Amino acid sequence: MIEITENALQLLCAVYCVLISIRHSDNLQKRSWTMLALASGGFFLGDLYWQLYLVFYHDTPHYSYIPYLSWYASYLFLLLLIFEIREEHTPKVRNPFLWLIPAFTSGMCIFYLQWGDWIGNISAAVLMSFLMWYAAKGVMLSLKYEEYKKYLFFYILILAFCLLEYSSWTISIFWMGDTFLNPYFWSDTMLSITFLFFPMALRKAVEE
Amino acid sequence: MNYIENIFICLTAPLIISVLCLRGKGRRQMLFVILGMLSSLLSAYVSTFIAGAQGADLLSASMEISPLVEELMKIFPVVFYVLVFEAGREEITDSIMMIAIGFATFENAYYMTQSDSMGLIHLLIRGFGTGAMHVVCGYIIAIGLLRLWDKEWLRVAGTIALLAVAISYHGIFNILVSQTGVAAFIGYVIPVFTTVLNLGFRSKIISK
Repeated sequence: MIEITENALQLLCAVYCVLISIRHSDNLQKRSWTMLALASGGFFLGDLYWQLYLVFYHDTPHYSYIPYLSWYASYLFLLLLIFEIREEHTPKVRNPFLWLIPAFTSGMCIFYLQWGDWIGNISAAVLMSFLMWYAAKGVMLSLKYEEYKKYLFFYILILAFCLLEYSSWTISIFWMGDTFLNPYFWSDTMLSITFLFFPMALRKAVEE
Repeated sequence: MNYIENIFICLTAPLIISVLCLRGKGRRQMLFVILGMLSSLLSAYVSTFIAGAQGADLLSASMEISPLVEELMKIFPVVFYVLVFEAGREEITDSIMMIAIGFATFENAYYMTQSDSMGLIHLLIRGFGTGAMHVVCGYIIAIGLLRLWDKEWLRVAGTIALLAVAISYHGIFNILVSQTGVAAFIGYVIPVFTTVLNLGFRSKIISK
């Protein structure tokens, strides 16, 4: 029951993000808002599929390609959104600490491979590596140059989103039951809350 | 006993003759309708094979395997068309829609011959619901190709992500229509509603 409630909360947060983004996208004229609508929409559809399966069959999907595909699509749209808002002639950022990101995602991928399938885990690791790499670069750029400061909140939010995803995945391996004490629900609720802040962060980044 | 191949031949034979008689855009569109029907036939084979290989029952296969296989099979003729004939964006969009229409027509015809006699209302809801669902899935991909990305590599990445979104949408539809009562009705109504909504905004979205 708690899982269903928590999923419902995530659906509401995602749909809020979809609706706000569609309202700002001006019939797809503003691509950055359209990308955010697609990212949150993809996440929403994956969640909805999962939720319907839980409600009707009291179980999670057995051959769960479909919700995962939707969530991976959401990460890809977030990556495309980063490319969309990135200005031309942006100064290059080089920092050796950035290499910690692929090291982290590869390590986690190897860890998850003990339970999950190869293709899904590697796809998630690749997408998350790119997403975190560009988000971390964005944070460094925003901290270094005053004119890029408007992007800071957006990039931090993307990083938080990725880290909360990793936190939820890791905790879900050591499932502690359908109880409020299960930290998975707290982590996943925080992930849901990031969707409430995405429109605000994007508005600050593209419209200021 | 209704053999799927018999229905395929009965439906496509007159269409194949019309392809020989038609010229220009009409011929191309009719060809894509036939390819849509062929995709539907091949999807049935592939889904059955995967379900057998994974030991999935009929219900799990229809909810978890078919949406993935069907959407992939629908996109293959378009990929071939793009790669071999270097089609333009408008032509690609038309081809996606025609394939979706052909696919839905064949699937509906097969479903109705397989099932026992049903009420006219049920047939109407099922016919329009499935038809609208396949068109919406096609439209999701077409919009991305037509409007969202200028650069080639972004379009490829975006189309893959939109395909995943279409697969989820299809999966949600299949979960809902596999239920009875209100859930099934909602499942059939959602694509019809999406199509009507899309018709309302179509001119604004398509016009650049």
